Amino acid sequence: MDSIDLIREFLQDRLGIGEDKIVPETPLAALGVDSLLVLEMMFAFEDHFGIKLSKNLKTPQTIGQMVSLMDRLRREQLR
Amino acid sequence: MERRRVAITGMGLVSPFGGNLADFFQRLLQGESAVRQLRLEDPPRPLALPFVSCPGFTAEATLGKPLAGITDRFAQLGLAAAFAAWEEAGLSRQSDRENREDWGVSWGTALGGTIVYERAYQDFWLRARDRISPLSVIIGMNNATNAHLSIQLGLGGISTTATVACASSAIAIGEAFRRIRRGETPLILTGGSEAPQAYGVLRAWEALRVLADGDETRAATACRPFSRDRDGLVLGEGGAALVLEDWEHALARGARIQGEVIGYGTSSDHFHLVRPEVSGQVRALRAALADARLEPEDIDYINAHGTATLEGDPVEIEALRQVFGDRAQGLAVSGTKSMHGHPLGAAGAIEAIVSVLALREQALPPTAHLVDIDPDCVGVDHLTSARRQAPLRTALSNSFAFGGSNAVLVFRAAAG
Repeated sequence: MDSIDLIREFLQDRLGIGEDKIVPETPLAALGVDSLLVLEMMFAFEDHFGIKLSKNLKTPQTIGQMVSLMDRLRREQLR
Repeated sequence: MERRRVAITGMGLVSPFGGNLADFFQRLLQGESAVRQLRLEDPPRPLALPFVSCPGFTAEATLGKPLAGITDRFAQLGLAAAFAAWEEAGLSRQSDRENREDWGVSWGTALGGTIVYERAYQDFWLRARDRISPLSVIIGMNNATNAHLSIQLGLGGISTTATVACASSAIAIGEAFRRIRRGETPLILTGGSEAPQAYGVLRAWEALRVLADGDETRAATACRPFSRDRDGLVLGEGGAALVLEDWEHALARGARIQGEVIGYGTSSDHFHLVRPEVSGQVRALRAALADARLEPEDIDYINAHGTATLEGDPVEIEALRQVFGDRAQGLAVSGTKSMHGHPLGAAGAIEAIVSVLALREQALPPTAHLVDIDPDCVGVDHLTSARRQAPLRTALSNSFAFGGSNAVLVFRAAAG
């Protein structure tokens, strides 16, 4: 599963947001994703890809930033 | 000190019979029991017991996805009941018209987020997961319901939850009543909610040996308050809410007044953690009557605490006999937990609604399955079937909790 797919599935499941609304430029806040839901989303990411995230990571503000962060962490794990 | 009148302008319910108040009350009048057998298959052994569920309620359908996903069942039941009460009161979710900075929430729950915590323990110890949901704290915390209501409705006043076992929501309502009566605030959303059906919680109650027996064939009649053959209480889930409002404030905005809260009395038994004590209940009853400025003969109906425990029922009836004296023989009493079960922290609020509906409809629900009255429980007019009698002016609702906390609320019909 790609990072963007995981994000789409999570937001559909938790907020009922359609796929078409989840594009890289969209601010997370505009979708109703507050800091608590970002936490849950990162938790789901950790579970799915078996990657433990550092507490000190900068919180992403947009879908695109979230995807970039997730992709980077997955690449680092593969090294 | 000035005593302002306190109106009830909205009521909402998530009950085993659904959320329609008229239908719920009609079914109580008919003596219909919502008790069914609940079976849980968790390790170490399956558990089967009489229980009252709200099967028609799904959080996602009622509250929508964001809210449903960040709340435990107890808060979901509470939010649904509260939104229904709010709507009945003619209030919108968010408003620019009123200043709500001093409107409050006063909620009650005995156990809070049982299900999220149990899921967390199962994750750790059964599924060997290393971590739990990061939202576990805010989903499970006892004050989740009042927090969400405050946010969703833009309420800036008191935001609190009382946790006092079976008296939680009675105390929440009573404390809200006092604040409005002394002019602190014009409106408080109050009530209670509970979802005790986590396996560990039910096993704990089973171990206390206060639950009624009953298999599939007998579950419906498992809760038999005041009966000679009663054998314990039946737990349940549920949510109930009332909008309490300053009388003048309600009239000014054209709200329909459903009833009135006129008195609240509390006491502590200071006796035993589980066993109730007559003198403590007597003090709470007398305090409520005095607070309402009523005499015993002014009360037309008692909605009893009536949990059907062996110890509790006779103590309550003795307390009523002592307070009401000669009047006790003709005092109409019913234990409606026989039908809606005992939803712990939500019980006071559900029974408050039953009392207000009785006054509004001028009809009294019975104690269901009451055929052979325990000789230790005689001395009052036990309602074994519904009764329509006019005029019904006042009702009194008892909540007597583990730990000895007692709360009694007094209501008056709106036309009064």
